[in-house]
Amino acid sequence: MERAYSRTRIVVVLSIILVLILVDHLNSPTFAFNSGQGNVETALSQRDETACAPCGAPCPSTRN
Amino acid sequence: MSDSAVLQPGLQQPGWQVDRFIVSMALVGLALLGGLIWLETAPFMVALFIVGTVLGMALYHGAFGFTAGWRNLVTKKSGAGMRAQLLLFGLSSLIMVPMLHSGQAGLVGAVAPVGTSLVVGSFIFGIGMQLGGGCGSGTLFTVGAGNIRMVVTLVFFIAGAVLGSIHLPWWLDQPGFDPVPLVSSFGVSGAIVVQFVGLGLIAWWVNRIERKAHGTIERDELLWKGQSHGVLRTLLSGRWPFTWAILILAAGNALTLAIGGAPWSITFAFNVWGAKALEVVGVNMSQFEFWTWDYPAMALKDSVLTNIPSVMNFGLLLGAMLAAGLANRFNEASRNRPEGRQFLAAVVGGLLLGYGARLGFGCNIGALFSGIASASLHAWVWFACAFSGSLIGIRLRPWFRLPN
Repeated sequence: MERAYSRTRIVVVLSIILVLILVDHLNSPTFAFNSGQGNVETALSQRDETACAPCGAPCPSTRN
Repeated sequence: MSDSAVLQPGLQQPGWQVDRFIVSMALVGLALLGGLIWLETAPFMVALFIVGTVLGMALYHGAFGFTAGWRNLVTKKSGAGMRAQLLLFGLSSLIMVPMLHSGQAGLVGAVAPVGTSLVVGSFIFGIGMQLGGGCGSGTLFTVGAGNIRMVVTLVFFIAGAVLGSIHLPWWLDQPGFDPVPLVSSFGVSGAIVVQFVGLGLIAWWVNRIERKAHGTIERDELLWKGQSHGVLRTLLSGRWPFTWAILILAAGNALTLAIGGAPWSITFAFNVWGAKALEVVGVNMSQFEFWTWDYPAMALKDSVLTNIPSVMNFGLLLGAMLAAGLANRFNEASRNRPEGRQFLAAVVGGLLLGYGARLGFGCNIGALFSGIASASLHAWVWFACAFSGSLIGIRLRPWFRLPN
C-alpha cells in the first residue's frame, strides 16, 4: 500500500512541537526553580479550590 | 512495502502489518517527553502522561467518537455508539461519585455553573462537533492518527477557545446560578440512582428509535470479543469492542481523579496553548479578565509541563499515533485532502468547538463525561443543549459536502 504521508514532514512536525514545549519550559518559573533560583512561584499543583468551574471561573453569585 | 513490517505472531493468524516508522516516532516522542516530565516536574505528572497515552490508544482502537455516535443515531437510527457512551457515563458515575465524596482531601469534581453561558456554549459546541468532525477527544485522537482535516479543526478549536476565554466573563454576568451538585440534594447513593434513571431513559429512547427503524436492536456495545483476531493482536492493533474502550476510559478517568485530584479534561489546555502563542506575538493576555483568575493565570505563567490537561493531551496525541501505527492506518483518513467547503467546515467547526467549549465549561470529556461522573447538573444541561446543536450541525453537513 502506498504510504499516505511524508516521513520528513512527520519528523519536522514532531520536532517543532518538542522545541516549542522546551522553549516554553525553559522560560518558566518551574525551570527557574529547578535550576536553583529561589523566590519563584511555581504551579505544579495548579488548583484553585475556590473556583466554580474546572477552568477557574468564579461563581455567578460572587459577581456584581 | 518499505514502511511496514509483516509480523506473524501465530500460524493461524493472517499477517499483521505494523507501520514501524510511525510506531518508532511515537515511542521516541513518548520517551523524550516522558523523560522531560520526569526530570522537570513530578512522578505523578508522568503517571498522568501515561494515563493520557492509554486513553489515546483506547479512543483510537475503540473508535470511540461521541460525534459519530450521535450522528449515527440521527441519520442511520443506529444506537450502539450512543448506548456505549451511556454505559461509560453510568460506570464512571458508579466509580467516581463515591470517590469524590469519600472524604479524601484534595479531590475536586467537574462541577460548573448553570446558566446562559452553559446553554449557549454547549449548543454552539454541538453544531461545531458535526462541522468540525469531532469533539475535544475526537479532534485530538484523530490529529494524533494523522488526519489533516482535523489538524485544521484543532488549530481553529484553539483560536475559538481563546476568543471564548476573552468573552466568558461577559457571559458569566448573564442570568445563571452556581453549580448544582446532585449529591447535595440526593446524597451519594441517591445521586447515582437519579443519574442511572436519567441514563436509562435516554437508553430507552435510543432503543425505541433503533427498533422503530430496523425492527431490532444491534447490541454492538455489549460485545466482548474482537471480530477477527486474537486478544493480544486486537489489543495492540484494534479494533477494540466497545466494552474494552468503556472499561479503559472509565478506569482512565478514575485514575486521573485519583492521581491529579480532578477528573479528566481536555479543552482548558487549548486555551493555554492559544494564549501562550498570542503572548509570544506580543499580546498581553492579562488585560483580559479570564487570564487574571488564579488558575488560568498560573497555567499561563508556568510551563505546559506543569499543566495536567496539557500533559494528558500530549500523551493522548502520541497514544493515538502509536495506535494508528500499530494498526497500519496512520494518516489513512487524509488520502483525500479537504478542499473548498470541507475545509471551510473544519474552520467554522473548529471555531464553534473552541468558543462553545469555553462558554460551556468543557467538551464531551470535561463537561459531559467528567461532569456526569461528578454528578453535576451542568453536565445534563450540557448534554441536552449539545445534542440539540448537533442536530443543526447534522443538517448543515451536506452543504459543506460532508457525508451523513
